[in-house]
Amino acid sequence: MSLQVEDMRNKAVPKLGSLIKQRTITLDNAKDWLRTIYEIRFFEDKVFELLGQNLIKGASHLYAGQEAVATGACAAIQIGDVIGSTHRGHGHCGAIGNKYAKDDQARQTHWNRMMAELMGRETGYCSGRGGSMHIADVMNGNLGSTGIVGGNIPNAVGAALAEKYKANNAVVVSFFGDGSTNTGAFHESMNMASVLKVPLVAIIENNLYGMSVPFFGSPVEGAGCAANIEHIAQRSAAYGVPARIIDGQDVVAVFLTVREAADYARKNRQMCMIEAKTYRWYGHSRSDPRVYRTKEEEKAWKERDPITVLSKKLLEEQLCTQQELDAVRDKAEATIESATQFGLDSAWPDPADVTKDVYVAESYPDTLVTNEKNASSQAMKATEAFETAVKTLTGQTKKEITEKAKEKIRSEFGMNVLLMKEALIEAQAEEMRRDKNVILEGEDVGIYGGAYGATKGLLQEFGTKRVIDTAISEAAIVGAAVGAALRGLRPIAELMYVDFITISMDQLMHNGAFNRYMFGGHAKVPMVVRTEGGVGRCIAAHHSKSLEPWLVNVPGLYVVMPSTPYDAKGLLKAAIRSDNPVVFIEHKATYGQMGAVPTEEYIIPLGVADIKRPGKDVTIVTYSRQTMFCLAAAKELAEKHGIDAEIIDLRTIKPMDINTVAASVKKTGRLMTVAESFCMCGTGPEIVRRLIEYKFDDGHTGFDYLDAPPVNLAAADVPPPMSEPLENASIPTPDKIVAAVKAMM
Amino acid sequence: MPKEVRLPQLGQTMEEGTIVTSLVKVGDKVSKGDVLFEIETDKATLEMESPAEGYVRKILIDVGQTVAVGTPVLILGEQNEEISQTYIDSLSGLQTSAASTPAVETPPVPSSSTPAPSTPAQQSSPSPATGTAELPEGSRVISLPQLGQTMEEGTIVTTLIKIGDEVKKGDVLFEIETDKATLEMESPAAGFVKVILVEVGQTLPINTPILILAAKDVEISQACIESIKSGGAAPVIKPTEASAPTTAQSVEAPAERPIPTGGRVFASPRAKMVAAQLGVDLTRISPSPSAVRITEADVRKAAQTGTASTAAAPAKYGPGQRIAINRLQRIVAEKMLLSKQTIPCFYLNIQVDMTELVKIRTKLNKSGDVKISFNDFIIKAVAMGLQHYPIMTGHLDGDYIQLADTIDIGLAISTEQGLVAPIVKDVGTKTLREIAVYCKGLIDRTRADKLSLDDLTGGCITVSNLGGFGIDSFIPIVVPGQTSILGVGRINDVCLPMDGNIMVRKVMNLNLSVDHKVANGADAAQFLDFVKKTLEHTDNFTT
Repeated sequence: MSLQVEDMRNKAVPKLGSLIKQRTITLDNAKDWLRTIYEIRFFEDKVFELLGQNLIKGASHLYAGQEAVATGACAAIQIGDVIGSTHRGHGHCGAIGNKYAKDDQARQTHWNRMMAELMGRETGYCSGRGGSMHIADVMNGNLGSTGIVGGNIPNAVGAALAEKYKANNAVVVSFFGDGSTNTGAFHESMNMASVLKVPLVAIIENNLYGMSVPFFGSPVEGAGCAANIEHIAQRSAAYGVPARIIDGQDVVAVFLTVREAADYARKNRQMCMIEAKTYRWYGHSRSDPRVYRTKEEEKAWKERDPITVLSKKLLEEQLCTQQELDAVRDKAEATIESATQFGLDSAWPDPADVTKDVYVAESYPDTLVTNEKNASSQAMKATEAFETAVKTLTGQTKKEITEKAKEKIRSEFGMNVLLMKEALIEAQAEEMRRDKNVILEGEDVGIYGGAYGATKGLLQEFGTKRVIDTAISEAAIVGAAVGAALRGLRPIAELMYVDFITISMDQLMHNGAFNRYMFGGHAKVPMVVRTEGGVGRCIAAHHSKSLEPWLVNVPGLYVVMPSTPYDAKGLLKAAIRSDNPVVFIEHKATYGQMGAVPTEEYIIPLGVADIKRPGKDVTIVTYSRQTMFCLAAAKELAEKHGIDAEIIDLRTIKPMDINTVAASVKKTGRLMTVAESFCMCGTGPEIVRRLIEYKFDDGHTGFDYLDAPPVNLAAADVPPPMSEPLENASIPTPDKIVAAVKAMM
Repeated sequence: MPKEVRLPQLGQTMEEGTIVTSLVKVGDKVSKGDVLFEIETDKATLEMESPAEGYVRKILIDVGQTVAVGTPVLILGEQNEEISQTYIDSLSGLQTSAASTPAVETPPVPSSSTPAPSTPAQQSSPSPATGTAELPEGSRVISLPQLGQTMEEGTIVTTLIKIGDEVKKGDVLFEIETDKATLEMESPAAGFVKVILVEVGQTLPINTPILILAAKDVEISQACIESIKSGGAAPVIKPTEASAPTTAQSVEAPAERPIPTGGRVFASPRAKMVAAQLGVDLTRISPSPSAVRITEADVRKAAQTGTASTAAAPAKYGPGQRIAINRLQRIVAEKMLLSKQTIPCFYLNIQVDMTELVKIRTKLNKSGDVKISFNDFIIKAVAMGLQHYPIMTGHLDGDYIQLADTIDIGLAISTEQGLVAPIVKDVGTKTLREIAVYCKGLIDRTRADKLSLDDLTGGCITVSNLGGFGIDSFIPIVVPGQTSILGVGRINDVCLPMDGNIMVRKVMNLNLSVDHKVANGADAAQFLDFVKKTLEHTDNFTT
């Protein structure tokens, strides 16, 4: 393959007869392609009909007209290869399912489950959780279809990265439409795939319209235009990868080109692009009147119906009789009719199961939880002893004093005193040694060692295969982590600032957090997005936010925010081992914070809060750096005002350990929350809500035990300002915490 | 036999319909399926078919009228069958009351877009509340009963039920404070509490309606409540009103109990919970200075100092304060005044040597499981005296002196609310130990405000002991209805000449106030001397 865009439509497609003679394919293969095309067609026609009868509800983007692309491409790849589907995914799901169906019965089951899924039944591929836009059999190498145009391309890149890392010779075929090629995710993904040299075949199904807007103009007056080039394949030049344009209506052409492309990707560990020119028979969706295209254009394309094109070849080359073709058609029709009946006869999902499969169920042994509590208080004591030692010991330099103090803690407590960033590095290194499926990717994680130094030394130990520097492409960084996690790795993706998570939010939420549920519990996404947030370095509104309230609002995500080196290490290790997607947010002002960390291996269970300071007068619930501010405030409250505050460090914001909070409020009767994020619909108000609704065994609620209105301290409702006095004014600080506690007593 | 035809639900969302056209008139013969009316619903104008065959005997609605689903619209019957007004009245527009008559449901017309439900929805829908003042069938107004012979009014102390509760006959509904005691008011019937007409703290004459019970789904209209509250006569069901439903004005269950008069108490949820646990009355607590609500600490402080128990304690008095007279004190005042006005008394005093009794009491209390008080000994001695001198149990009854059937002795008890003198019953048949047990229970009941009416009824003498307050001797006032009262002073060491020596003895003063209308000095003197001697000779007491 050359780097030039090659338009295969100018070349004659080899005769079927000669392909059979060369044993490239068998006649049965060709007949099976026709059967698959028919099945997809009948499926789509049936879906259209059932939508009209309200027997199928919701969106349905029909694939009729484009069947040759999915059929040819899925035929061309090998068992074990992976596909990524689109917004218009019935064809891909249909074709790949046929590929894995060992006999007619399995094939029937496959179409049954597809139809049941569209009808929202329990027997569907995703148990009715996904429907048309999220239909996928993830067990058979389908990364799933998507409701976000272009949303699945980064996942395909990550999957390809995983296949390459596992060195099992598989390739990933990523289908996407012309509409998605103007999204950032497309560009980020193609660039990342080409740079990381992953075995990816990117198939652009150019059906000429992104909903109503023509990709490259239309004779219809008033119609818009999405791009300034006719052939999307030309964009391959931007990524330095080879590309071809093919006739998407001819399954033979698709088969041959994709087969060649897959070989190329497999052999060279490099991506390539194929643009298949095709056309959809129906509108974008059922309600689309198709005013943006002409009847003449539709007629011309329908003359090149993939069914007609393939049937004609089989007849003209006298490989099949009309009767044989009719038999293929009838068989396909019967399959879809049976599938329809199966769907209609299938049970609805049980509403009681509505929350099933949002998360992979995870639990920790009771002894681990108990032991950790002890370890945590030991670490607190050791850290306090270290701080006292630093103040009391003498030496020539500060460094010398610190080293002396560290030595003292090692001998007295058997613990190392580490910087926060050192604890993070230890956690990642230990888990990478423990599990070869753990990889690290993101901005500056390699030779630079992370923007805040939290990956220093990892490149040296684990090499570029496992510590991967990426371009500044947040959507692709997170999306690739999702894809790699879907394919069995445990990626850690680092985003330099949590503010940048806004760019990758689609990937994080729609794919990272939702895939498991949307795909009926058949997928898991064990990834960690490591990032940092908070104010403290005067770097203003784009680098200082605390966005955890956004993230806890996403079902399917865990959110972890450590406050000490001890917590950071144990929590990060647990996050990496978790089968659920975790966003791990460090605080930029804590990387230089020192704390005692056990020398032996440990993890901290996710979802278990830590009482950093027991007290009896007021419960202060906090996390991350604000824990340190609360502890400072508690000290002052105790020494100067006789108020004994209990400080609870949530550590994990989601799942939230409301039990610990409730038990504390039962004791104190007063609740204050302290967070650095914005207050409205924030973590503090959420803690209060959960506490008020909390039901104790004695029949009382958390509300009953309150002796004062709860108070939420949070960031001011302003973009974090740069100037230091303003920055301090925008968040809770120890003095504000002291004042607020005094006011509520 | 007549059959009424009710407005069917002609579509899933239909709640009422307007009669656009009436296609039948009285006397017409209709077959099942014949169109009777054109009905306009929220969605369309639809034909209402006859659900049965028969002759139209009565049309209950007019063209243009809008009626609720389920309203009777037509009566079918035999040719020339007379339909009685009683029958029409019985339809009343309320489906629950029509349950006894064989209703013929009109089959719903299948709508074009949605399949018709196989069961007409109106069969299960609850009856709509109407704005009329009738009390729905099966409901019952419960009034404040007379809980004792002298009771004329009662104060609602506690409400033990809330709207929606199911109560059985005999369940306690309220605690009612009468002139004598706080009593439990039991439900005279079973049913669901629909309306509570009274608030805690209200004082009402007997027979005031206080509660409405009814079947579960029955709703009581506001008009009905107003009618009951205003003491209106039993409402009469009017058919015209019944078949023309007006906008339903149902009584919503209040989210919380009626707010007690005297304004809202602001207390934290925790303070409320702790107050309930400790039996502290929040209305008697003030928040700390500058605080806006009562907190747990305020409640605990109040509980410790005992200033706000729900049993109500006297407030700390300050100079110039105006103190509201509570019910108990008012009763004491009335009775004492009555006594002074109507009972001509004479007064006797005697000294009792309690030395031996003090010893024997100490001995008994060392070994026994029940602690016997001096009062128990005195009550026992008084009972024995009354048995010997029955005239001392008499009271004036016209031209007669009526002697008591049993020896019942009042015991004056001071509580936080005031003075109460409940009755120790049938003391004559009780041993000292039994008296001790009974008195302990009586005192506990008194302090817990749990005296029954029976505890307060009867008595021919009261024992009042102020010895505990250091009083040597005092003259008590006879309780009206009784013959005398014995005032007991403290037991004091006194030097007494005895067998030629001066001895230090434990001496107690007894004062007896006697109704001269019943007993004369000689009777009373002998009685008092008998009591003295009984107390001094301890072998009189067997436990």
